[in-house]
Amino acid sequence: MTHPEELLADYVDGTLNDEQRAVVDAHLPGCAPCREELQLARSAVAALASLEDEPVPFGVTGPVLAEAGRRFERRRVIVWERLQWAAGLAAAALVLVVALNVGGGSDRDGAASLESTTAADAAPEGAAPEGGAAETAFAFAFRGLEMQNDVNYVADGISSLASDAAEVISGRATGEAGDDQRYAPADEALACIERSGAPTVDDPRDTLMRLIETQYEGTPAYIAVYAESPGAGQPADTVVVWAVTKAGCRILTTASLRV
Amino acid sequence: MPEAGVRDEDLVRRFLSGDRAAFATLVERHERRVYNLALRMTGREEDARDATQEAFLTVLRKLSSFRGEAAFTTWLHRVAVNACYDLLRKRQRQPLLDRGGDEDRAAAEPPPVPDHADASDLSIDVQRALLEVPQDFRVVMILHDVRDLPQEEVARILGVPVGTVKSRLHRGRIALARALGVPRSGERADPAPPSEGTMTP
Repeated sequence: MTHPEELLADYVDGTLNDEQRAVVDAHLPGCAPCREELQLARSAVAALASLEDEPVPFGVTGPVLAEAGRRFERRRVIVWERLQWAAGLAAAALVLVVALNVGGGSDRDGAASLESTTAADAAPEGAAPEGGAAETAFAFAFRGLEMQNDVNYVADGISSLASDAAEVISGRATGEAGDDQRYAPADEALACIERSGAPTVDDPRDTLMRLIETQYEGTPAYIAVYAESPGAGQPADTVVVWAVTKAGCRILTTASLRV
Repeated sequence: MPEAGVRDEDLVRRFLSGDRAAFATLVERHERRVYNLALRMTGREEDARDATQEAFLTVLRKLSSFRGEAAFTTWLHRVAVNACYDLLRKRQRQPLLDRGGDEDRAAAEPPPVPDHADASDLSIDVQRALLEVPQDFRVVMILHDVRDLPQEEVARILGVPVGTVKSRLHRGRIALARALGVPRSGERADPAPPSEGTMTP
């Protein structure tokens, strides 16, 4: 016996047309397996109806939005750096023109002088900034891993960390820790932040401000606070905070704040 | 909300032309459906979070290659399903909802609500049974029976013919009912299972 299996799902859904339904109706009285399958399928559909949507836990898409923001910043910086590179190239070309003109004993000294001035003005803009690291305008020395295992951060606490760091960057606070602050070697925590995929660790535009061993919503975690500049050589203008699990180094949440 | 009436495809265009907020709107609009798809596919809150993040990161990376041949939601579902498959492949372990693991079960499911204890228990049983259904069948049931997407849309998402969706849907429902322990009907079953699903004229 051949069974109308391709029609049974729609038969359960009630979406067959009259002709198709008549085919199944004619088949069923003589086919116990199909009758049983229909009964099972209807039970399954009823059971699946009991599954309701769960709310999305807090912070699930935070890292995605943070990454989107970083990509935007990066794109802006890349465009800016390309413009700078193009300006540098133009300046170099002008210098070459000047050199050729001077070397060739051109009688167009006036024009050469003008071009030379233009090249000299353009050169500083086109020159690469000295040093690869972000130039942060704030005075803050990273001291090591802060041990705050008895503290349980939640979302508000992460926001506070970002606000505090923004105060330091803008010069309204010193960021000096109290005397009771204990520090530990940070290598393991830094490696964990790096393993988490937080894209800040090796970025020369980011400066690590604080690293904390603590809990986030009851989960043992590391929290890293970075100052981020829009491009190498420019002052930091954003604070980015990452919280990752100590076990497994998985991103728990992130927050960013423009200074 | 001012963005409420804006089409997804327009938000994509705005994002690609530099409107950063448009991406946030897309995420906010769709995170619930992606997360719940992932939750039903993986059975664990932790895995659903990871799959949701991975799906949206993929969207972020590949949005510039989205040409609009398919609706954005179709493309998004495809990305989300692939993220679930990837995660399940990586995990290669029994979903913790499946056996024991009370702690993880508590994390994956909401605590029972006293006034609706029966409904809550049923929901947990169904989720657990769902994980016993082969993935290719499970995803079809989740998209069609749970998410209410038409079979044609499910076929587009999965890149398979509609007939395949119908077949997997029916097979999946039977597998789920058996995993739930639904009693068989009183009649004796024919030992030969229904075959290829083609009609004899």
